Amino acid sequence: MICAHWGRYLRVDVGTGASAAVGLDPASLRAVLGGAGLGALLLLRETPPGFDPLGPEAVVVFAFGPLGGTPLTTSAKLAVVAKSPLTGRINDALTSSDFALSGKGTGFDALVVAGRAPVPSVVLVEEGRVTVAPCPELWGQGLALSAIEAQLGARYPGFDFAVVGTAGERAVRYAGLGNGGRHAGRGGLGAVLGSKRVKAVGVRGKRRAALADPARTLALARDLARRSIGPATEKYRELGTVANLATFNRLAALPTRNFQASTFEGAAALSGEQLKLTRERGRGSCAGCTIGCEHFYEVAPGQGTVKAEYENLFAFGPLCGIGDPAVVLAASRACDELGLDTISAGGTIAFAMECAERGLFPAGPLAEAARGLRFGDGERLLTLLDDIAHRRGPLGDLLAEGSRRAAARLGPPAPDFAPHVKGLEIPGYEPRALQTMALGFAVGSRGADHNRSGAYEADFSGKVDRLHAGPEAARHAVESEDRAAVMDALILCKFLRGALVDFFGECAAMLEATTGVPGDAAELRAAARRIVLLKRLFNEREGWTLAEDTLPARFFDEALPDGVARGTRLSREQLAAMIQAYHAERGLGPDGTVPAEARAALAAAVQLVGPVAICDARSDDDGGIR
Amino acid sequence: MVTIELFGVPRLRAGRDEVVVEAASLGEALLALAAACPALAPSVVSGGRLSPYYLVAKNGLQLTADPGTPLVAGDTLVLLCAEAGG
Repeated sequence: MICAHWGRYLRVDVGTGASAAVGLDPASLRAVLGGAGLGALLLLRETPPGFDPLGPEAVVVFAFGPLGGTPLTTSAKLAVVAKSPLTGRINDALTSSDFALSGKGTGFDALVVAGRAPVPSVVLVEEGRVTVAPCPELWGQGLALSAIEAQLGARYPGFDFAVVGTAGERAVRYAGLGNGGRHAGRGGLGAVLGSKRVKAVGVRGKRRAALADPARTLALARDLARRSIGPATEKYRELGTVANLATFNRLAALPTRNFQASTFEGAAALSGEQLKLTRERGRGSCAGCTIGCEHFYEVAPGQGTVKAEYENLFAFGPLCGIGDPAVVLAASRACDELGLDTISAGGTIAFAMECAERGLFPAGPLAEAARGLRFGDGERLLTLLDDIAHRRGPLGDLLAEGSRRAAARLGPPAPDFAPHVKGLEIPGYEPRALQTMALGFAVGSRGADHNRSGAYEADFSGKVDRLHAGPEAARHAVESEDRAAVMDALILCKFLRGALVDFFGECAAMLEATTGVPGDAAELRAAARRIVLLKRLFNEREGWTLAEDTLPARFFDEALPDGVARGTRLSREQLAAMIQAYHAERGLGPDGTVPAEARAALAAAVQLVGPVAICDARSDDDGGIR
Repeated sequence: MVTIELFGVPRLRAGRDEVVVEAASLGEALLALAAACPALAPSVVSGGRLSPYYLVAKNGLQLTADPGTPLVAGDTLVLLCAEAGG
């Protein structure tokens, strides 16, 4: 067995209540590292082709990383992986909380939740025990995520929970999972778990996987902690991600009014600099993190505080044409309480605002419900969030499906400006003004994704022309994806990127010190590419075609109207050339599929299909299940 | 005259949104900036150079840290953090 891993995962069928410890062969573990890599592998193994992401055959994987539970800063993270009900493709969301430590502390590298419970239930995983406990009294009560966690915490002391909110209960396709004040936000993981009638997964474990070289791990951890509070992370510590808003506005990269513009006249009031001076009331950090990027802002006098990020501000502010910080922060808090992904919620509502202004809702109940909806209407924004989470009324129910499905229902020309890739709403990076990122969005296996691709780093580096990208963008996109794949597998916070001088080499050193398996930068690069291919393999199995790797027509047909990027657009030929270059750089076929030889290499490196070995429940100290 | 617009941490440290300087190159502008806003040295600017974690966007477009970048009167330098994670 490799150190820092347990060499097994737990499979719980909530339909039958049965659970089993399933062995993980060391070669596979080493090949995919852990975390999101392991989650992708288990998703592939544990599901049949073409399954319904909201059906009982779907699974939700909670995967931990080899660095989890070590002193290495920011490693208290987990990857939650499933087939997205929003995109129909692989979805992995990373989140940080004590759940990661307690979950790995139960003695498993991952928890796989399968089946569908007969009644609303909570899954409780301890060291050596799994319980599926009915909790119908917690279902449909409209409680905030934090209130549910508090109730569960009182009922089951010592457990840490991942919780489904109101939106997840009602299968809103972009419902997230709350955990300890953080969220596995994107792609509808809350809907997947909710479809299993699982209100929460609770974990309670204190075990720590053995480290190969504890002294070296500690030395590396001390060095990393020191660098984590250096100049590379100063922005996150001092201002947080909200610092992006004013800068992006100045560079005409701030998506505004559903991507109709890239500068916003109300940006100054929403800027991180202004919020810091007028509303910041405290700071915080994730479990086991030395950076401390969380910033809490007063919503309005006497109305409490909320933790806000750039993506929340962008999605409910400029994207919806709203400049009142009190409204934007209230919307952010509403999503936290209802269990909604802020980016998809903001994107879908901004899309609806444009549809309403253009008169695209068909006469009848939908048009009636959308009457008067306009950009800048903060009151309607807050009402709509609640309607969406409850699937209340024809408009709330339609928008709970996300912008792609809503656009398909409305018909042309709505699909041309529905702000998504593969169904996942686009984050706050304007593709026409950040064209390396445009490629990153288009080819992302999760859809429009700024966490699996940080290709915007190239756009902000001065090494490329951000307004006129070409095939050379492929190299940057691949490099960015590979780095993200490693960080999401180990798992480390991406805000450490700038603090790592020799990224792959330093990550290899951490992996060697913890797992004991000698490795180098080249091996980690190979693992990263393997993980990216695994995700593409899953998507291929689930029906992906090259036609999905694109952007909405708006980005080709409409030039940016304002700011320093005025007149800039992408062309279809330009993006196609970048995608072809990406395929070549990634070793894919011209049609973007994983070639036979690459599949064979992948199959040789990891156990791609079952059957899998059921562990002897008592073979390894007290890790068995009863 | 060249206008240096400050964003993010530099704006907080300097306590102002912009600084107007006379400069024919980015290096000269950064020296003038450090003189006008001592709180920015050495974490943001030092010896006419930017810290590795900062860039300027000349007239909002050309991203660079090259102190030799020529400037003419009327140019604007947007000083920003190179970390754009959000």
